Amino acid sequence: MSDRIEPADAARALSEIGWRREQVIRRKVFPGWFWWAHAALIIMLTACMESGRGVLLWIGVAVFVIGGFVIDWPVSRAARAAAPRRGLAGLGTTRRTLIGLATFVAVLLGVLVTTALSLRAAGVPYPATIAATVTATVFAVAGRLLVRYEQAVQVRRSRSQG
Amino acid sequence: MITPRFDELIHAPTRLSLVAFLAATEWADFSVLRDSIGLSDSTLSKQLTMLENAGYVEIRKAFVGKRPRTSARLTTGGRTAFDQHVLALQEIVARAGGSVVPSSRSSEQS
Repeated sequence: MSDRIEPADAARALSEIGWRREQVIRRKVFPGWFWWAHAALIIMLTACMESGRGVLLWIGVAVFVIGGFVIDWPVSRAARAAAPRRGLAGLGTTRRTLIGLATFVAVLLGVLVTTALSLRAAGVPYPATIAATVTATVFAVAGRLLVRYEQAVQVRRSRSQG
Repeated sequence: MITPRFDELIHAPTRLSLVAFLAATEWADFSVLRDSIGLSDSTLSKQLTMLENAGYVEIRKAFVGKRPRTSARLTTGGRTAFDQHVLALQEIVARAGGSVVPSSRSSEQS
């Protein structure tokens, strides 16, 4: 049967297979609001902590935990609906993703601490809340970019695998 | 060691798209498959049943709350058949001496 298949037809089929693989990698799991919703929770929690009132702190923690769950639940469900097969983008993908994530968290913490300390030294009121706002904005913007970058890298690696 | 083997069941355009998508996933929900491949419920159901009867696909039905949720994945046999089919396709293209340029669909997606 394969002798009757034209090379152009075989090439089209291979192209289709590659495209479906990319479709799985690029499938949109994180909606645009996901990053900003988490950013809002970070700012809210920091403001509650900085207020120095015990009641506000507990309310802030409760809203942060419940809000985080409500935001993450549909995203984790969407991710599970067609999770990419392990090794789809080559070996070492998980390790590279984890390193990227750890670096991202380290950068965010660096931005938070540096901004907060600088603002406090300058005598600006509510330094932690302002620093959290800056950090949360970086998180929301860079988080989306990081996911896109990671998908682009995975697509490139899956193409090189053939 | 996988040997090339052209598979007529997989090569049909709709099933090729479906199997290629499943090959890239662990499990895939019915709704994701339907929307990603662009099939109607009945067509997808028919194709999945055909692949299941061939032993290529495993179908799982579960309930999330009161809503039924159907998922599918390639069986080990299905994955082997797909890998063999891909090798057969690559062999056909290679025999043509690299004169075939596959059309890329990557630019079509956003």
